[in-house]
Amino acid sequence: MTSAPSTPASLLTPEASRALGEALGDGAAVAALRAKGAGTLDALAMPSPALDRPWKYVDPAALDLDGFAPPGTAPSISVEGQAAEGLTVASFEEAGGNALERVGEAVAVDGDRLTALHYAFLSGGVLIETKANAEIAEPVRLTREYSEAGTLATPHTLIVAGVNSRLTVIEEYRSGDEPIAVLPAVELLVGPGAVVSYTSLHRWGARTRVFAEQRAVTERDADVRSLSLVTGGRLVKSHITSSLEGRGSSSEMYGITVGGGQEHVDFYTLQDHVAEDTRSDLLFKSALGEQSRAVYYGLTKVGLGARRADANQENRNLLLSRSAKADSDPVLEILTNDVTRVSHGATAGPVDEEELFYIQSRGLTREGAVGLLVRGFLGEPLDRSALREGVRDELSGLVEAKLTALGSGA
Amino acid sequence: MTEAPLLEIDALRANVAGNEILTGLNLTIRPGEVHAIMGPNGSGKSTLANTLMGNPRYEVTGGEVRFLGQALDGMAPDERARRGLFLAFQYPVAVPGVTVVNFLRQAVNAVRGEEVPVREFRQELFQKMELLKVDRDFARRYLNDGFSGGEKKRAEMLQLAMLQPRMAVLDETDSGLDIDALRTVADGVNALMHENMGLLLITHYQRLLNYIKPQFVHVLIDGRIVRSGGPELAEELEESGYDTIEAAASTA
Repeated sequence: MTSAPSTPASLLTPEASRALGEALGDGAAVAALRAKGAGTLDALAMPSPALDRPWKYVDPAALDLDGFAPPGTAPSISVEGQAAEGLTVASFEEAGGNALERVGEAVAVDGDRLTALHYAFLSGGVLIETKANAEIAEPVRLTREYSEAGTLATPHTLIVAGVNSRLTVIEEYRSGDEPIAVLPAVELLVGPGAVVSYTSLHRWGARTRVFAEQRAVTERDADVRSLSLVTGGRLVKSHITSSLEGRGSSSEMYGITVGGGQEHVDFYTLQDHVAEDTRSDLLFKSALGEQSRAVYYGLTKVGLGARRADANQENRNLLLSRSAKADSDPVLEILTNDVTRVSHGATAGPVDEEELFYIQSRGLTREGAVGLLVRGFLGEPLDRSALREGVRDELSGLVEAKLTALGSGA
Repeated sequence: MTEAPLLEIDALRANVAGNEILTGLNLTIRPGEVHAIMGPNGSGKSTLANTLMGNPRYEVTGGEVRFLGQALDGMAPDERARRGLFLAFQYPVAVPGVTVVNFLRQAVNAVRGEEVPVREFRQELFQKMELLKVDRDFARRYLNDGFSGGEKKRAEMLQLAMLQPRMAVLDETDSGLDIDALRTVADGVNALMHENMGLLLITHYQRLLNYIKPQFVHVLIDGRIVRSGGPELAEELEESGYDTIEAAASTA
């Protein structure tokens, strides 16, 4: 007896999963995850916008992935960055052996049907690993590009930072105009004293829907900093989590969205303070033109054991058109009464008239003043991400190009 | 006193949120003159400042303002600035993400109508910062973001120094300043003032006028000037308060 696919039309079957694994020549670790994913496909439900809070604003129809075909065995990935002592960058197929033992440690297979699908159809895994004390000066850069209509893409990036190592990773995602669905997973395992900076550039095409899972787990005194920049996509839904499990560790999360057209950019974040003396900071900003929409739902959790936690969470939205929309809901959940500081804030609205008047009173035209305000607004998370100058310039160039396309200020 | 006036305010009336605040205000300022307008809370001081600069929240309902002979009515704030009018705000707004240096560079280019070469601009900026006793790292901070009251007022004076206006209006520049900061700011303004420039100090207290000496002092009550005189009028106000003048004005 064969297990029935969830709907007769679905191409995303356990058989297809097995065939993909054979074609890729899975090592033991990936094979086990793939089998688990395939085995739970039918048991796990899709997230429900009606029942699951982080999914509240997602169109249920967008979650119907049954029409999509499994990914091919050779997705387009390019890797840049200099070879360096103590650094490994390898595809999952190349890595093999014990190197992949930790896949699935941060992003679980059985979260929901989306994570099960991710692992069942995993193709395009990349491992980036640093040895203890390695200081990698040059950023490692991955570019992933998808163009095949009607396929499901499942990029997976596993970052393992050894004790006291330093690493910067930039991952760029792109797609064409064809309808595709992408389920990226990013795992950041940050060892004791290590410092990792991870930036994702979401430059998706107008008919791409994305359901991304990013989770960092920090060990003692580790620091992780992430930035997500979204400048395109039909629906870009990202879940970004940091589990601060090591004492004295920290997580900074930044997000920048420039929305236009019908784009829906939807973030769920979780800063989970588990250990003592942990620190988190978060700033997500969006500038929304045309009919675009941003959703932010974020949780800062301070657990019973997280004494002296220091947490800040801010979400700010600038509406550049009357039809643009932002929903913002930052939430605090604090179980200990011994905290250093916990704060949060949220705003959404058009450009402030008093700010415009002030800038205009210094000689800038109204259009110039709007442009300056929007760029300053979006520049703040970019500044705080502390990226090296060349990278920062590239990112502000992406922001600039999108703003110019929206026609908001020179 | 035969020179053409810089600023002529003629029977000016202005509303904010539907309430008439300025009720027929007259004032003429010529090059080289320093005027002070003093008035109690609610007399229309800030309304005058905002109306002069063209804040869209304030509506001119009567009278006229001419600057360098040109009527200002309907002119956007940026055009007023480019013509040489400057307002130092009582409450400057914070502009996170925009550094002081970046903002000043854009403002200077806009007002001068040309791209000032970066080196030249920096030289001038550092010189003006020195004049106002501002640390150099000030330039890299976000404009007014997290600034103390004193730092905000200094940032306003730095903008004044860089934009070199023909006519500067200082709205309650003394508020929130301790005596040392007040002295620094006043020294800066005095150094920037010249014979072709006009200065209008708007203030509640006489304190500022000990450091920036006006030739003309006007008392603003209920949206119009009820008395004008020399520096001695400020001292009289300091001693007897606004009540006496207010009472005299209401029976007049």
